[in-house]
Parts: sequence; C-alpha cells; structure tokens
Amino acid sequence: MSARNRELVGLIPASLLVTAGFAGVFIQRSGALSNVSLTYGAIFLGLCLAGHVFIRVTLPHADPYMFPLVALLSSFGIVMIYRINATLARQQAQWLVLGLVLFAATIIFFRDYRKLERYRYTIVAVSLALLMLPRVPGVGYSANGAYLGIHVPGLFVFQPAEFAKIGLVIFLASYLRDTRQVLVMGARRVLGLTLPPLKHLGPVLVIWGIAMLILVVLHDIGSSLMFYGGLLAVLYVATNRVSFVVIGLLAFAAGAWYLGTHIVHVHARVETWLHPFDPRLYHAPLGSYQLANSIFAQAAGGLFGQGFGQAQLTLPGGGSLLPAAQTDMIYAVITNELGLFGATAVLVASLLFIARGFKTALLARDSFSTLLASGLSATLALQVFVIVGGVTRVIPLTGVTLPFVSYGGSSIVANFVLLALLLLISDRARRPAR
Amino acid sequence: MLQPVSVALKFAFLAVLYLFLLWVAWSALRDLRRAREDLALPSQSPPPGDATGMYAAADGLLDGHDAGFEPRLLVERASGYQSGAAYDLSRGATLGRGDVEIKLDDPFASSRHARISPQGHVFVIEDLGSTNGTYLNDEPLNGPQPLHPGDRIRIGDSEFSYLQ
Repeated sequence: MSARNRELVGLIPASLLVTAGFAGVFIQRSGALSNVSLTYGAIFLGLCLAGHVFIRVTLPHADPYMFPLVALLSSFGIVMIYRINATLARQQAQWLVLGLVLFAATIIFFRDYRKLERYRYTIVAVSLALLMLPRVPGVGYSANGAYLGIHVPGLFVFQPAEFAKIGLVIFLASYLRDTRQVLVMGARRVLGLTLPPLKHLGPVLVIWGIAMLILVVLHDIGSSLMFYGGLLAVLYVATNRVSFVVIGLLAFAAGAWYLGTHIVHVHARVETWLHPFDPRLYHAPLGSYQLANSIFAQAAGGLFGQGFGQAQLTLPGGGSLLPAAQTDMIYAVITNELGLFGATAVLVASLLFIARGFKTALLARDSFSTLLASGLSATLALQVFVIVGGVTRVIPLTGVTLPFVSYGGSSIVANFVLLALLLLISDRARRPAR
Repeated sequence: MLQPVSVALKFAFLAVLYLFLLWVAWSALRDLRRAREDLALPSQSPPPGDATGMYAAADGLLDGHDAGFEPRLLVERASGYQSGAAYDLSRGATLGRGDVEIKLDDPFASSRHARISPQGHVFVIEDLGSTNGTYLNDEPLNGPQPLHPGDRIRIGDSEFSYLQ
C-alpha cells in the first residue's frame, strides 16, 4: 500500500470517532439518537479528505501517519468541546478550517522551507516581539496572573506564544546548523564537564535569558519550560554533548527556584501544587480549587470512564465546578468521561505523532532539516508534558493548551503550521533519490 | 432505553481508537525492523556529495593526525589545470583570481574568493565575500563549513574536490 493510501485509510477511524462521539453526546443530551451526528462525522471526513487530497498533490512522499494522528486528536477535541459547550465547538470547527487553510498556505509558500534560514534574524525578532506583546498595556491581558494572551479588539483573543515557539525553533535550528561544530571544537574540559567556548555559548546564554524573561515578564513557568526544553533539545541534537544539557537544566532550575520563591504569582502556583487539598488554599481566590477538582474528576473516571456527557462540570446553583474545562482542563474531562483508557489513548496518539516527528528528523538528509524536525517535535512533546503534567499534578499547573485537542484558535492554527513544516521536511527526506 | 446504546457507543469509540493506534504503532515497529536490516548490510559511509548532511559534530576531532591524514584539493575541472592535479592543503590555502596560493583563471572568481584553513583537526572552507559565491556540493556556502572527504567545491566554472 502506498504512503498516501495508508494515510487515507488512517482517516477513516478519525471520522468514525467523531460520529460515535457526537452520537454519544446526543443520546445523553436529548435522550434520542439523531442523524445530526452523522452529518458532523461527514463534515469532518470531508475536511480530512480535503487535507488529504492536498497532501497527495503537493507532498506525495510525506509521512503517512502524521495527518491521521492529528485528525484523531482534533476529533477527540471537537467531541469533548461540543460536549462542554456547543457554541465553542462551532468556533473550534471554524478554527480547524482556518488551520487547514494556513496549513495549505505554509506548504505552498515554504515549499523550499530552507529559505526560512535566510530570514532567521527577522523570525527571531518577530517571535520575541510576539512573546512580549501580552505585557503591552491596552493590548495584553492577564488570566489567573499569567500574561499569555492579547485582545484584538472586537475580534478574538490571540495567544502569541503558540506562534513564537515555532519561530524560535526555526531560528535555533538555522543558527546551530552554522555554529554547532565550533561549539564542540572549542570546548574545554573543566572538572569533568565539557564547557563550550564562551564566544559561541553567547547565543545559548541569550536563550536562557529569554526563558527567564518569559518567566519574569509573562509569569508562566509552563511555557518557559516548554520553550527552554525545546531549545535545549535542539542544542543537544546539534552538538551531541550531554554536558550542555546538564548545564542548561541547572541554569534553568536555579532561575526557576529564584522566581518561584520571589514572584508572588509563581509562588502561589507552586503552593497550590504542593498542597491542593489544603482547605485554606481550596477556598482562596486563584487557589487550588481548579486543580483539586480536576484530580477528583480524573479519579471518578475509573478505568473506562462515566460515558459521554456524564461529567459534572457546573454546580447546581450556577458557577463552574471545573474552570477552563475546554482549554487547560480538557484532559481531566476526557479522563472523567472515557476513563484511563481514553486518556491513555490521547497520550499514545500524541506520543506516536512525536515519534513520527523524530523519525522524520532521523531520515532528513541535511542538518537544518534534522534540527528543525527534532526541535518542533521536542517542543510539542514538552507542551503535552507541561499541560498533562499540570493537570495530573506532576508539575505546577500552567495554562498551555493540549495540542490539537484543547479549544483555542491560536493553538490549533499554530499547530497546523507546525504539522505543515514537519510534513514538508518529511516529504523532502523520503523522496527517492533521482 | 438508550442507556445500553450509549455504553456500547463508548466502548466502540475506545475500540476503534485503540485499533487505530495499534495499527500506527505496528507500522512504526516495522519501520524500525527495516532500519535494523539496513544496518546489517555492510556499513557505508554517508554518501559523498552532501556536505550539509548531519555529520557528528565532533567528526574528525578525536582521531587527530593519523598517519594517513593528508588534506588535498583535487582539481576536477579548471581552466589552466590538468584535472587530477592535487594541492597540499595542510597549511591552508586561499583560492582566487589574484595573488593567492591557488590561482583560478575563471571570469567568475573574485581576486580573493574563498579560503580553506585548518581549525583544530578539521579543515574549514569560508567564502571571503566573493561576488559570485562559493558552492559546496552545489549548495551556496554561507558561513564557514567544515570539509569532509569527497566534498565538491565549485567556484564559477572551476570545480575541486576535497580529499584527506
């Protein structure tokens, strides 16, 4: 079976899932099976087919499993969001369409994605400016103390970090393509650790500074961990030196410790993480209410979950039992309704997608492609870790989205651009030699 | 009455989900097995002609100056030279139209066009701001790049290959 036909076959389960999911929600909601769920499934299948035909024409050799895996995650997301709020699901569907349009645009305009290298300084400048935007008065705003979004007046809320992550990875991949050999060559051994030469370490220190700045300026540990981890991964792939990673992690830990104890908002997040069931914190504003309830919800899910539409999300007297259920907490809702098995499936799907990304990095024939593919995959992997780790209380909870699943326009659109880049690299890498 | 349908739907959903994931995982596994078979074949060095390939960053650093380490620049075609002639590179060399070590009789070459110099145990080629650029394995050179045996260097109509 050719790669493209395998991709086509892979899209069928995703559409079945949408149909089954919507049917389940309808039964729960109105006590009747309606064929509207078939309509939703058909529309979703249509969208997937459009994407598939586009890939078939433009990228005939690209990895066959990435697109179906993304379709699966998106179908999961849209069913869950529909179950939480029908209006949001309609918006999410529109974002999916816009995401596919930008996906196509990326593939057309960056067909030779290596020309991105030429604009690396522009790209990094724009990314950093985007990151800082949420702090600009009048444009940015803060949610729960973290500055992550900007308002486009009258239109929508935009999360620049989602796009900045792609820009920063592109910059680092192209920068390290040129300097990685110098970084290793000039290295000296001090106390059993290999230290890179200071002159070339500069940019890496700048990256550390950026991550710390994100912490200070945006008050968010999660996204800075995601950025920094992704960048360290690229550095490791480029130089094959564990010591750089160790030094990097120590520097990050030192910075995070200092900020965790000195910035009120970050400190509060750490406190709720350590003691979520403390009644004082539970009832405090911005306390551990959300986190504790998410843990209760996941525990109630059991092995196979309570079934579609069964999760209790609002209180009888109004008010929310699980704040931000459609974005940060969507993993908890999935665990509650589909149980450990459903939630594991989401994680496995993400894992397989990331594995395909690294596989692409291994197949790529030039170092910029290898670095770019591994950086994009690592960033996505860390994003999944940061949000799922936050919801399951492995690390302090922060507001990043679960890629392709959570509600959120910027997240969906940016991740489709990321998918387009990975598919472009993969197509180039798997093209048979002339 | 619809309760059993609802439960059935949930399990159908999970079953489809896992069948799909198994399918993807199985294909990934098959890929790995194929990769291992490829490895079992007599090992090949990375195909020459791709300088931008992902060589290990520390390539050529540790083995140092072995007995057989003789960096040479081989003339493939260049006007005024016999193809097959080789230059000793062990102390580096500059290529160009002007008064340099390796003189090029090529209208597209600048007077000081490119330099090859030893850095540690590897040789690095660098374009010296030439007008028409230097090509390493048919890719325009930007920034210094280490040379690997078999790399082809093209300046205008002249072409060389690097050996060591």
